[in-house]
Amino acid sequence: MGDRYSFSLTTFSPSGKLVQIEYALAAVNKGVTSVGLKGTNGIVIATERKSHTPLLEDNSIEKVSTICRNVGMVYSGMGPDARILLDKARKSAQEYKRVYLEEPSVMIMVKEIASIMQEFTQSGGVRPFGVSLLIAGFDETGPSLYQVDPSGSYWAWKASAIGKNMINAKTFLEKRYSETMELEDAVHTAILTLKEGYEGTMVESGIEIGIAYLENTTTKEGDKIQQGRFKKLSEPEIKDYLANL
Amino acid sequence: MSIMEYNGGAIIAMKGKGCVAIAADRRFGVQALTLGTDFQKVFPATDKIYFGLAGLATDVQTLSEKFRMKVDMYHLREEREITPKTFAHMVSSTLYEKRFGGYFCFPTIAGLDAKNEPYICNMDGIGCITTPNDFVVSGTAENQLYGMCEALWEPDLEPEDLFETISQALMNGVDRDAISGWGGIVHVITPEGVITRTLKGRMD
Amino acid sequence: METTATLRFLDAPASIAAFKHAASEDDIEATASACVDMAPREFAHPTFDIPAINNPVEFLKHQTSVDAKNRIKIQHGTTTLAFKFNHGVIVAVDSRATGGSYIASQTVKKVIEINPYLLGTMAGGAADCSYWERELGRRCRIYELNNKERISVAAASKLLANMVYAYKGMGLSMGTMVTGWDKTGPQLYYVDSDGQRLKADLFSVGSGSTYAYGVLDAGYKPDLTPAEAIDLARRSIFYATYRDAYSGGFVSIYHVKEDGWEFISRTDVNDLYYQYAAEPKPSLAA
Repeated sequence: MGDRYSFSLTTFSPSGKLVQIEYALAAVNKGVTSVGLKGTNGIVIATERKSHTPLLEDNSIEKVSTICRNVGMVYSGMGPDARILLDKARKSAQEYKRVYLEEPSVMIMVKEIASIMQEFTQSGGVRPFGVSLLIAGFDETGPSLYQVDPSGSYWAWKASAIGKNMINAKTFLEKRYSETMELEDAVHTAILTLKEGYEGTMVESGIEIGIAYLENTTTKEGDKIQQGRFKKLSEPEIKDYLANL
Repeated sequence: MSIMEYNGGAIIAMKGKGCVAIAADRRFGVQALTLGTDFQKVFPATDKIYFGLAGLATDVQTLSEKFRMKVDMYHLREEREITPKTFAHMVSSTLYEKRFGGYFCFPTIAGLDAKNEPYICNMDGIGCITTPNDFVVSGTAENQLYGMCEALWEPDLEPEDLFETISQALMNGVDRDAISGWGGIVHVITPEGVITRTLKGRMD
Repeated sequence: METTATLRFLDAPASIAAFKHAASEDDIEATASACVDMAPREFAHPTFDIPAINNPVEFLKHQTSVDAKNRIKIQHGTTTLAFKFNHGVIVAVDSRATGGSYIASQTVKKVIEINPYLLGTMAGGAADCSYWERELGRRCRIYELNNKERISVAAASKLLANMVYAYKGMGLSMGTMVTGWDKTGPQLYYVDSDGQRLKADLFSVGSGSTYAYGVLDAGYKPDLTPAEAIDLARRSIFYATYRDAYSGGFVSIYHVKEDGWEFISRTDVNDLYYQYAAEPKPSLAA
């Protein structure tokens, strides 16, 4: 049985397209909008937390996730597919740390995840992931933001958006983004961008935000150092941002 | 006879002021028989990191090539130079991967990090790292080298003084070991570059 | 009487355990026996306590074998050589003592001056060599006093061989060359702790001996001048110290002549290395 499906489901059409990948992108474009933008001293990613029914426990949904100490991600598209990628990314980050006793750089994590996504466009018996990701983190090169698509291609952005309202969000970001913006402003801009396509009034439980920044810490040896850190904002923190818009 | 003493050899690394030095003898022998006097035991990993391998000569060559490959792959993948500390942990994990049938090599690492801070360490054959603030020694002349280093090393040596100190420690140490010696080589790593000198020693 | 006693001892060295003092009184050698009875007993012969067990040879073998956990460590690395030529005998040795790979000394005297006409060399256990060759010297002197003439090298070397043979298998370690000039001219014998005794024109003994033989055999001929012979001996030891990890230090050279031995030189091998390195290499193609 197994070998009957050992060919790739993603095959070229006569016109040179991989339609499975286009379908995967269509799934992404149906997904909830996510945005990410870089500030001078940090970086933010954010998305809507949409529940179709008031009966659902909001906090059971997690779309912005930590990959490792200094890198996080948000997805637009199919939640279950993103979860698989998140698991693989977390495992890969810990394997890196096992070898080097050091957090991986954002670029390394992006390359790792992108190569997994590419593998699923070429391997037998699998389909591409129905998600695009925004990967944000802080390493020795500073803050960086990457977008990864189902094909496995990736780009580094100053600011970007994926999902249903991507086009409007990007237009908004192009108008509002400034390279001199600090993390605080970036968080505000991210919220404002989400608000553009948001249905209803925005409350703290209705969005998720993750930030990466430089944190002062002390090592085991007692040396004071600065280290990249990714963390999710709590609901009270988001509430404060919403109040100050 | 222990397999660690099959070929013989001695390696030292020392910290200085804004610089580090690493030195080794040059003998290649099979037990009592000296076959070569220009055997390489210290290798460059990057412009600012050198590592020495003491122990079984075949593993010295296998591991040096393996680490060269890993450092090159790191360089390509990460688009940056590896730091001494990260390199040390890479070496350590490489050794521990073979915990139940390991390499008969004790690595010594010396280098300057991105801020040109000195770093030295050495480890056992399965990757247990030690990072003292003064010097590390390994090889068949380990005991003699400890004696020499304890006597000669002092803090904040400038490159030329560090060179003199490590050279004297090496040459006088190996002169009390039958299976190390036959000349030496010293690398002093400074922010400006690496000073490499070969030493004439007793040839018996 | 004495012959019987000697044979009994040689057949069963283990009997020493049972007849410890008796054995040491009469048996070890017969040659110098005349004086033995006259000398006070405690100065007459060396006596050694031997493990008072059924089979001391097997027991001691175990103590000195490489497998033994607390093996008695003895100095093994050495290069020594001696050869006869038309002007006497040249003796050359290195000066390194090692315990495992540790260099215990670089200044050991490995030529033992038994008397002005006899030399012995040292390889194997340093203590064994120096003890038994000193004992040999004592017996040679007694022979001289008894017989009003010097002992021959043949007799002296046989004394040594017989002495150590009595302890065969008990862990003695000795590879020595006994050389001198007697009525019959220059003489050279090899004696070891197995009891082996050989006569030849050329010997090299020790861990570096094979390297020394390489140089020695290539350059040896009986009609070397003394200067050539000394140079050959020095080079032979030097190349052995270069190749053999357990040989090194200084090359000491002696020349045995009709009127006794003469100390020739003691040279640091490190100086020799740079001296020889500066010399042009001989062409092998010719």
